[in-house]
Amino acid sequence: MSRTARDKTKFTLTNLSVRRETSLLLFTLAVILGVTLHSPRFLSWGNFHSIFLDSAIVAIASIGQMMVVMTGGIDLSVGSGLALSGMLVGLIYKAGIALNPYLALLLGGLIGLGLGSINGVLVVNGKIPPIIATLGTMSIYRGLIFLASDGQWVSAHEMPSSFIHLARGTILGIPNLLFIAGLFYLIFYFFLSHSKTGREVYAVGGNLEAAKVAGINTDKINRIVYSVTGLLYGLCGVLWVSRFASAQPDTATGFEFSTVTAIVLGGVSVAGGTGQVTGVLLGALLISIIENALNVTQTNPFWKLAIQGIVILVAVSMDGIVRRRQGTKVVREEQL
Amino acid sequence: MSRKLLELRGISKRFPGVVALDNVEFDLKAGEIHALVGENGAGKSTLLKITTGVHQLDEGSIFLGGEPVTFNNPLDAKKAGIAAIYQEHTCFPQLSISENVFMGHPLVSNRLQRIDWKGMHQRTKQLLQELEINLDPKTTMNMLNVAERQLVEIAKALSLDSKILLMDEPTSSLTIQEAERLFAVIRRLRDDGVAIVFISHRLDEVFELSDRITVLRDGKYIGTKDTKEITTQEVIRWMVGRSMDELYPKKDVPIGGELLEVKNLARHGEFREISFTVREGEILGIAGLVGAGRTEMARAIFGITPLDQGEIWLNGERTKIKSPRDALRHGIAYLPEDRQDHGLVLAMDISQNTTISILDRFKYRLLNKDQETEITEKYIELLSIRTSGCTQLARNLSGGNQQKVVLAKWMATEPRILILDEPTKGIDVQAKAAVHTLIGELAEQGLGIIIISSELPEVIGISDRILVMHEGRIAAEFKRDQATQEGILQAAIGRSGAEADAV
Amino acid sequence: MSRKRLLVVGVLLVALVFALPAYARDFTIAMVVKGAGNPFFEACRKGGEEATGELGLNFIFQAPATPTSEGQIELIDALIAQQVDAILVSANDPDALVPMLRRAMDRGIIVVAFDSGVAPAGRHLFLNQADMELIGRIQVQMLAEMIDGEGEIAILSATSTMANQNTWIQWMQEELKEPEYAKMDLVAIVYGDDLREKSYNEALGLFRSRPNLKGIISPTTVGLAATARALEDQGLSGKIALTGLGLPSEMAEYIRNGTSEAIALWNPIDLGYVSTYMAHGLLTGTLKGEIGEVVNVGRMGERTITEAADGGLEVVLGAPFVFDIDNIDEWADVY
Repeated sequence: MSRTARDKTKFTLTNLSVRRETSLLLFTLAVILGVTLHSPRFLSWGNFHSIFLDSAIVAIASIGQMMVVMTGGIDLSVGSGLALSGMLVGLIYKAGIALNPYLALLLGGLIGLGLGSINGVLVVNGKIPPIIATLGTMSIYRGLIFLASDGQWVSAHEMPSSFIHLARGTILGIPNLLFIAGLFYLIFYFFLSHSKTGREVYAVGGNLEAAKVAGINTDKINRIVYSVTGLLYGLCGVLWVSRFASAQPDTATGFEFSTVTAIVLGGVSVAGGTGQVTGVLLGALLISIIENALNVTQTNPFWKLAIQGIVILVAVSMDGIVRRRQGTKVVREEQL
Repeated sequence: MSRKLLELRGISKRFPGVVALDNVEFDLKAGEIHALVGENGAGKSTLLKITTGVHQLDEGSIFLGGEPVTFNNPLDAKKAGIAAIYQEHTCFPQLSISENVFMGHPLVSNRLQRIDWKGMHQRTKQLLQELEINLDPKTTMNMLNVAERQLVEIAKALSLDSKILLMDEPTSSLTIQEAERLFAVIRRLRDDGVAIVFISHRLDEVFELSDRITVLRDGKYIGTKDTKEITTQEVIRWMVGRSMDELYPKKDVPIGGELLEVKNLARHGEFREISFTVREGEILGIAGLVGAGRTEMARAIFGITPLDQGEIWLNGERTKIKSPRDALRHGIAYLPEDRQDHGLVLAMDISQNTTISILDRFKYRLLNKDQETEITEKYIELLSIRTSGCTQLARNLSGGNQQKVVLAKWMATEPRILILDEPTKGIDVQAKAAVHTLIGELAEQGLGIIIISSELPEVIGISDRILVMHEGRIAAEFKRDQATQEGILQAAIGRSGAEADAV
Repeated sequence: MSRKRLLVVGVLLVALVFALPAYARDFTIAMVVKGAGNPFFEACRKGGEEATGELGLNFIFQAPATPTSEGQIELIDALIAQQVDAILVSANDPDALVPMLRRAMDRGIIVVAFDSGVAPAGRHLFLNQADMELIGRIQVQMLAEMIDGEGEIAILSATSTMANQNTWIQWMQEELKEPEYAKMDLVAIVYGDDLREKSYNEALGLFRSRPNLKGIISPTTVGLAATARALEDQGLSGKIALTGLGLPSEMAEYIRNGTSEAIALWNPIDLGYVSTYMAHGLLTGTLKGEIGEVVNVGRMGERTITEAADGGLEVVLGAPFVFDIDNIDEWADVY
């Protein structure tokens, strides 16, 4: 390999991980441009403010889903777990206990941590395939909401205004939801790329056998991944209830699929081993942008779902094409 | 009787980085059993796969009944009457014998193209009877043992009226009785005029069964003889062929104290009665055929699979190793046979792969990129890994360089005992030499090294001592100066008298 | 063999458990609602319990886990097997349940539909919460009062295929044709599918795409509450008026702080209460089920059987109830 070829390879490789996000970013910008040409008021600060807020919850929950999928699993209990943690916190308020909103957030996270740990134990110790295990807990957690709430809703007037304002308030001028989402993205960016455990998550996802042989406690890693996912959706549950000022037994039904969509858009390989939080963040944003755009342009409701699906497929296949071309190029250069 | 049914002329096949077959000749007559022998990697399976259309040849030609033919896919070969039974069984375990026999060419009734179950069961029953097997065609495959499955595969070939039957190591997982039964079937088929290619490592079987023998070595055609006109010794010499070459420079290293001793290790169905020691600076070679239990033993010592019985002593202390983590903590490292499946995380870069087992060394469980890069660059230089840098993905490295990265990972753990399982499999000559030199240097530093290899020159070239395993047991032990390829091969194929050659 | 016997005993035991209610001496009334976990139906249940308590009847409450006709059909089948005396049903589909309900009627079981009706062939009586026309028109009247009969308005409904929603929207459009609404302009109808997040986003979409919007009608609780929340989040409370059909508990917060001045709804407790009385009348024979008959409905007084728009028989509960700042406190904790 000549000197120049070597440098070239280096150039493409350092950009490879970035490129995935770049293609998604370009696609997102294209969508924004297209929609803005159609209805200019889409591109306003106010509208993007709501898009950011709207994507915050799915973005946080998707971090967990990303780690689970990266290690070769899937968590279908995200929606139910989120709703259960949200409902339990809602019921505390309904019972007239004036819990500090931040404590409520912590409590929701702990509830989620418990729920996620159950998934982890089922998958790791019970040796149940993740899709089956979480399909089971999806129904169980949803059932527990009905049992806990007796089918009732918790309404806005039953929650203290401090709690309702949790999702609406600001910290240092940044909306709380964005602040919390940003905080978690920083934490998990750091966790995944700079901590030993994070590195081990990638290793377990990339090659379980090799990770085992390398002396990694793969069972522990898998349990951690499900538990952390639980923690995140537990937090999301509280944020959700605060944002909509309502806790319903059927809250966030099917929400797990939004998280899966976000991570697939974000370039997380369903085969495991690869994924970046930045991509997932973009994926979550793109979902909100599409949804918002369809509303702002007053698209025929019969078309909405189909268009959403098409846009997602286009985004993913575009990314796939870019990546495949990039991949063969690298291999070809390597063979030189 | 002597009509040439199949002729392969000047066959060459290249895979990236390897010449698998180089101008190979082979022919097959109706009503004969033609054995194809050679060491691991000699090109037997590749030749078989070319004949069945799985691989396409780069050069050469195939004649069938005197006519040139081209097989673009396995279906072409199947239509031409060529059937193959592979080492790894290709059956559908949940389906019945009949369904397996007629998979891909079911009997259908004329009018509605409906599957003719009754006809299929009847025909299968008939085929099984011809093979003298008493099985219900409706039995599902997973109810059968390996030998019975093998026979069903033959029935499948017969259902296609195949005139040519290729068998790749059909007896590798059969007991002697089962093998004998299979041989009876094979002989009967031959007497009916079927031409059979028989690939086996067990030379005694080859001599018992075959009419002619063709030997391949390193992808090259060595020769063909009537079985009656050649001795086992000659075949072995043909298979081994080369002289000890300079690829294996052996350094004289003073051998120190005992590092590892294993006593009477056993794991059901894999290996038993394994006892040996490894000393400081010693390289212990472990030879044997594929499936002799070498890898299984290494995996158990490293804690990947549990031992059923036996003791492991490290530095004179009895030690329990329950997981690779334990093994690493005690200074044992294991370079697995299959680097892609067990060695590397292909989606991670060189640096991440190199440091994966030593992350505990970083403070506060946080990674330090500079430190990682420093460690990785040290090994890139030491092992002369050809790469664009620490951040190149393992996926994009050549086989030899991938193997070096795995080696780097284990060296980074600074082990006292290094178990290497086929460390040079599938890598080019230069890389091999580099790995051998490195192994010598590690021994010089006082490591105890166990090297499992199917390449006899390699084992003989670099080991201080060689254990030969056969069917899960240590069949023989050779000191460096006593080891010959012939002797090792005799012990590896389980020939009686092999022990007599040993120390 | 013994395993088989065990199985038989097990099946018998299970059958016995399910058959037990049938051995009770008093009449048993079963209520089947659209789906579990809906406070509206929990309120209906309260009414049913209240009435059966007064009348000394047994009461069973059943709801499918998801709001589907299939789930309801299974439940009704089981209730027939249990030999209940009457079934009160709020149907997910007016036609899908008819064959199963006919089977029930053939076995002498009284069928009273309420809230969301079934076709006449599958019921004895229907308790109509309020005239569809009246419900549609009253929402436009309420909104017109809030915006002084002037400006762009929009409707945020549940799903685009829901029959009662669409009928109400038709009557809203009829009402808007009256001359006094000449300056009101219905500019959009959007669908939030009764999902909190989707309704919220649809509301945001309305604010963005219709900057001159003056009022929103949402004839469904989830849509109404989500729109209220969206209005507050965007600082649009008081700038865009909001009304519709919603549970007072869910809307209390927004009525108190003025995001929505007033909303309407019938009383689901009364729905459960009155339908139970209707079934009891038919069971005891005090009612024959003819037009013009007067039904005694306990604390609610009396109602008359009339012919329904679909040709069957119905009893109309009354005009929808309007909740505003003056009465919301007293209803917020009721349902």
